Parts: sequence; structure tokens; C-alpha cells
Amino acid sequence: MCGAQGSKSGSEMEVTWEDQQNINTFSRLNNRFHDLDDEIKSAKEKCDNLEDAGNELILADEEMVRFQIGEVFAHLPRDEVETRIEDMKEATCKSLEKLEEEKVSIVSQMSALKKVLYAKFKDSINLEED
Amino acid sequence: MSSSSPSGSGGELTERRGIPAAKFIQDVETYLSQSGLDPNSALAFHQERLQQYKVVEMKLLAQQRDLQAKIPDIEKCLEVVATLEARKGTGEALLADFEVSEGIYSRACIEDTDSVCLWLGANVMLEYSCDEATALLKNNLENAKASLEVLVADLQFLRDQVTVTQVTIARVYNWDVHQRRVKQVTPTAIAAADS
Repeated sequence: MCGAQGSKSGSEMEVTWEDQQNINTFSRLNNRFHDLDDEIKSAKEKCDNLEDAGNELILADEEMVRFQIGEVFAHLPRDEVETRIEDMKEATCKSLEKLEEEKVSIVSQMSALKKVLYAKFKDSINLEED
Repeated sequence: MSSSSPSGSGGELTERRGIPAAKFIQDVETYLSQSGLDPNSALAFHQERLQQYKVVEMKLLAQQRDLQAKIPDIEKCLEVVATLEARKGTGEALLADFEVSEGIYSRACIEDTDSVCLWLGANVMLEYSCDEATALLKNNLENAKASLEVLVADLQFLRDQVTVTQVTIARVYNWDVHQRRVKQVTPTAIAAADS
């Protein structure tokens, strides 16, 4: 996590309101970045599971398939299950794309802020992950 | 229910839903002389504030986890009701395997039906028509999502205050170290000038 530590010489470093807001924004972005990482991981997992489910379905030759809806496994005809899986896959992949885009934007915003803050504070601030 | 008042930090909120805002300090020396605190007391005050913020953060994070678990639950219920509704006209019964106990499943045959029972909590289950059930569940979902949004905003505000407080602590500490260094240098310089 980022921290503003004292420089070794203990010199007086002016911190303006604008600097404080930059630090706050960086902190928010960093938190959102970590949350995004988790969300992307679980979305990827879900996508993979749906992919596997789709493949299993093709291999299986039963007419009625047990498809999980909520907490129960409903017996549904194969075509309906196929359609449902396709829809779920599309929705998950779309949301995964959006999450990845947001992550890229956040990374670039963070590196821009890092430049500004390091330029002003040099050694007195630490913005790296520990 | 937040109030804003003009402060040195440019018209920001002074508190948000019971969480006091951390006041940004323009100049450490002015702050210390105005508040009449010596550096150690100021540091202690801000450290305590930081602890209080942490306590509130834990509480909010727990609430967020609860809501994040609740929302998929409601969505699952909506899916089940939608499936039942879709089957209404066809007259087919729906076969469903459900968990009786860990690893043990049983089969249910769900006939065409107009009504569903919803578990409301506190050992209460009410029967609703499919439309009413969908409306109720959708309403609950909207409320849960709205609460989550407010909670996330609260957490962001809180984190900002924590950051401001941490920076303040660092600055007061630095100022104190700087003052001590200056005090150490001055007597030696006077002694050297005298001799």
C-alpha cells in the first residue's frame, strides 16, 4: 500500500491540498485495482466453467440434462440448456472484457499520478506495493 | 445526511453519515500553535482518530460482504421464478433434483402452478403469485444494489480520511524532527561564534 513516509533528513515538505487529493485518488485507484483483480479472476473462472459445461453437453447424449437453476438441478431438454449456456457465456465474457478495460484505464491513471507525486516528493513518498 | 462547511481545505464535507472528516492541515506550524498542542499530543490525537477509522472500516467491510452475498441469492430466486413462469402455459411438470442433506439429493415434480412461496427469513414463508413474487424479488434486488452503492461510497470517503490522517501524522512527525535538528544546531553555532 502506498504510504507517505518522512524523508531521512526530516526536512519540511510542503503538502498542498492538491497533493493530498492526488494521494487520495491514488489510494482509491489502488484499492479499486485490487478489487478488479479479484473480480477478473472469478469472471475468468466462470467463463472457463461455462466453456467446460458446453463441451460436456456436446459429448453427452442424453435428451434431458440436469441444469442448475438457483439451488436445484432442473431437468431441461438439451436444446434449452445449450441456449442458456450460450447466453451465460456471452454475458460473462462481455463483463470480463469491461473489467479488463477498466483495469487498463486504472493502471494508466495510477502511473500518471505516480509521475506527478514522485516528481514533487521524490524519496519522501512510497507508492509501491510492499 | 452530510453537511458541508467552508474550511481551509476548500469546501469539503465535514462529516458523512456519522463519520467525521479528517481536516486537511495547510501548515503544520500554524496548526500546532492554533490548537495549542505540542507535537506528541497532536500525534496521539491523530493516531487515535486513525484507530477509530479502522474500527468503522471493519464494520462497513462486514456489511459489504453481507450485501455481496445477498445479491446473487436474490438473483438465483428470480431465475427460478422466471423458469416456473415460463413453464406455466405448457402444462409440463418440471423435474428438479434438490439437496436434502450434504451429498443426498431428492427429486421433486413441480406441476404447473400460479403461486410460489418465498422465504422471508425469521422462520416465515409467504405464498405469492408468480407476478407478485417477481415484483417483490426485483424490489429487494434494487434495494440491495442501492445499499451497496451507498456503502461503497462510504468506504471510499472513509479511506480518504484515513489517508489524510496518515499524511498529517507523517507531516507533524517530520516537522517535529526538523525542529529538534534546528534546536540542536543553533546552540552549537552560538558557542562557536562566542569562542
